[in-house]
Amino acid sequence: MRDDPTVVALVARAAGGDPGAWIEIVERYAPLVWSICARFQLSNQDTEDVGQNVWLLLVEQLGKLREPAALPGWLATTTHRECLRVVTSAQKSERLGTKLDEALQVVDKTAIDEEILVAERNAALLAAFAELPLFYQQLLSMLMAEPPHSYAEISAKLGIPVGSIGPQRARGLERLRRSAALKALGTDDIGVNIPGGEPGA
Amino acid sequence: MTSESTFREASQVHESWDDEQLLAALREAVTARQAVPAWFVDTAKSAYAWHNIDAELAQLTYDSEADLDLAAAVRSETASIRALTFTSPHLTLELEVTENSLVGQIIPPRPGTLEAQTRPGVTTTATVDEIGCFVVDPIPEGPFRLRCRTDDGIDVLTGWITL
Repeated sequence: MRDDPTVVALVARAAGGDPGAWIEIVERYAPLVWSICARFQLSNQDTEDVGQNVWLLLVEQLGKLREPAALPGWLATTTHRECLRVVTSAQKSERLGTKLDEALQVVDKTAIDEEILVAERNAALLAAFAELPLFYQQLLSMLMAEPPHSYAEISAKLGIPVGSIGPQRARGLERLRRSAALKALGTDDIGVNIPGGEPGA
Repeated sequence: MTSESTFREASQVHESWDDEQLLAALREAVTARQAVPAWFVDTAKSAYAWHNIDAELAQLTYDSEADLDLAAAVRSETASIRALTFTSPHLTLELEVTENSLVGQIIPPRPGTLEAQTRPGVTTTATVDEIGCFVVDPIPEGPFRLRCRTDDGIDVLTGWITL
């Protein structure tokens, strides 16, 4: 687990009674908890129960986490455990003849590790994105949209010449790449500097 | 979110990403965040209301319904009462579900007050008598949790229960 000073600070602030820090923790890691519930294919009701229990346990544990930096790992493991409990209980009470997928029965260490990595990376990317100047946020959002916006649309919306979209895109991504959030992720060696280069979109 | 390709990308986190990969990773992060419904996030945010509430959290440690196979093998009669046990460091709550009510006892036995709280915030209060017994009547509709405060200052909160 990497030492993300942001996570450590958030946990400390939330433990100290700062609701804003709690909200930020939730915003960062709700997708992690959600994706695990989704993998277990829980109903909305069960997902809500699991979510309730996981976050409530975290509220209780805030001041006691031995390694606050390992929060994503704690969340992933706790969510898995709660999901397994719901699934096992439902399976037995409904007396289903079918065996639950073996892969889900065992807490798959590798899958959890991957989910944690993805969650940390996503959280860092979104944090970095949120710190970009609004112009770059808008530009990158339009470039990521499904279906994609045309350069003409982007040019009209953002009031920049079509010819500068490529270079601005590269600059926005470079700022993202150099952001503190991504650096904290341990991705310093991501950065290949491509100043103003026209990307091969 | 949990596709093979996601896993592969995640393990390459230390390698350099070009612009295309970075944009793809950002898109994936945005998509994953957008996949989470607002109610799920709201539920998580509201859990903080329990911060600084000096209640110990009691974990479900036994549920007769989760033990049906064994029960069926052991008992000849089919009509069994559902029993649940919640355990916290200082207190155990034993519950039995009858037709209309929830009958329980706290161990070690002592007097206090018990609240059943539903998600919309409806609270039913019951008295815990000298030998730790209480009755919640009627059984709350939908998910609920129990909070037990003993006269000598123990404060325990269970996880959510749906009957």
